Amino acid sequence: MAKVLIVDDDAQLLHMVGMMLERGGHTPVLVEEPELALQRIQEEMPDAVIVDVMMPTMSGHDLTRELREMEAFEDLPVLVLTARSQAVDREAALESGANDYLSKPVVPKELMEHLDNLLNQPPKAPGRMTISLFSLRGGVGRTTLAVNLAAALRRVSQEEVCLVDLSPSSGQAAMHLRLQARHTWADLPSVNQLDWSNVKSHLLMHQSGLRLLAAPPEPQLPIAPSGELTTAVLEILRENVAFTIVDLPPLFNPAVQTALEMSDMLLHVVTPEVVSVQIALQSVKAIGKAEIAVKQKAFILNQVTNERQLPAAAVNKGLKTRVAFDVGYDPNQARALAQGVPLSLTPAKSALPATTKRMAGGLWERTGGRAQRDEASDQQQA
Amino acid sequence: MATLGRHIINIDLFTDAYRISGRTQVGTSGLLSELNNPNTDYLDLEDAYVSRIHEPGKIIANYSEASFRKTNINFIILKDRRDGTVVGTTHARSIYSRGRPVEVFLTIPSFEITGEIMHDGKAEPSTILVHTLGHFQPVFQATASAALFPDISYTGDLFLVYKDRIAIFCLKSHLS
Repeated sequence: MAKVLIVDDDAQLLHMVGMMLERGGHTPVLVEEPELALQRIQEEMPDAVIVDVMMPTMSGHDLTRELREMEAFEDLPVLVLTARSQAVDREAALESGANDYLSKPVVPKELMEHLDNLLNQPPKAPGRMTISLFSLRGGVGRTTLAVNLAAALRRVSQEEVCLVDLSPSSGQAAMHLRLQARHTWADLPSVNQLDWSNVKSHLLMHQSGLRLLAAPPEPQLPIAPSGELTTAVLEILRENVAFTIVDLPPLFNPAVQTALEMSDMLLHVVTPEVVSVQIALQSVKAIGKAEIAVKQKAFILNQVTNERQLPAAAVNKGLKTRVAFDVGYDPNQARALAQGVPLSLTPAKSALPATTKRMAGGLWERTGGRAQRDEASDQQQA
Repeated sequence: MATLGRHIINIDLFTDAYRISGRTQVGTSGLLSELNNPNTDYLDLEDAYVSRIHEPGKIIANYSEASFRKTNINFIILKDRRDGTVVGTTHARSIYSRGRPVEVFLTIPSFEITGEIMHDGKAEPSTILVHTLGHFQPVFQATASAALFPDISYTGDLFLVYKDRIAIFCLKSHLS
């Protein structure tokens, strides 16, 4: 039994469709004024919406478009029911974001079949996400956070997760994972020859299943990856892995700018000290000046030593925003580095693994992955 | 609100540049009788939704009441032939559905239409058009393609085509 919200300015038809749904075992919510529909949808949180097209104050197409712009309802099943019955009307309905289309007059059996199909549609595959960790100040623990977040995401999602170390040289992510950087981004073929198979062959695999595109380990003459290479690699990874975590070097080169632009989320790492906060502010200005459209960003306050120069409140005041995550000093990190096992993969409950696991859980939930797995598990049990 | 003996039907009406979807009241003899009614030159629509011909899925305006001069209507699409004419019974067909089906191709401004015309007697384009009563020619199981936008087409169980707008009228046997 599902809750179905029906929007139709024709009261007679509205009640008739409502009755059909009731007889089919569903709970109809009737809305006669399309301009109130969005509000009612937010209040009622229906399992599906049936919408008429020809309504005087707002067309069903406009209503569907507005619905799709709201993050919470971008996947809500929408069935368009209209007297306009031509192929072009079906196209228009689907283009507006509706999932299905039926022309009036409709018979109960047909309506129930279409509605049941909509309600039983398998959920979409978990969303894919690119997350960059950034700081123009070195030594803020950015790689440590990137490695732990990537490992925690791998653990919580069991999906493909790839950590990308975009350092020009002396890449440290491989060291954190105790992997030999036999292949690095510097060995990738030219952009026009790149595809998933040759990117995959350059990825190192940690025992946890986490993949790593390493940076060249030798402190030789550094060569930064180009913006084009960064674009191509991140696009390929987005198509093939669930989460891409990019460990950005403390530089503002084309590769870093490209990665910032392509990321779904920017995690800006700062330490509780004056210089770090000042550099973070300058970085924010530089990003704005370069007209890089950061989709979503958050600050992480990471305490890399047991001495805190600035309290969190002062950091917030300096950054003119609240830090999203405050990671306390974790003395276990030195041991984890020596062992090559990220703390987020251990049972340790100290500050670093606790925060990165929490972040990973939140991100996994946000992409819809957890919901999908729970549903699959429920179906299996049923 | 429909009055006694009359009911409301949905129609798609086409002028040179517009598609208008709406509802109109008809009697028991269907829309064709309304169109052939000599007492009025207009056809009234309720809840008229207007689209341009090149963007037929996009509604650009809507009005609760609208009137159309019959002579400026190119054709009307009906989903069910019973909304347009008296189809008759198994034993006695109406004047519009009597005879044998003749496949036709015709053009009107902006559209090419194919479908079937029911005709008694010798099938010749001139006689078919002359012999059909009234100003609108019923074309059954019809398809209209927009001449300038070939990807856009419409189908219907019955088209009512304004005869004075027909530029080319061909029978299928004449085409082959």
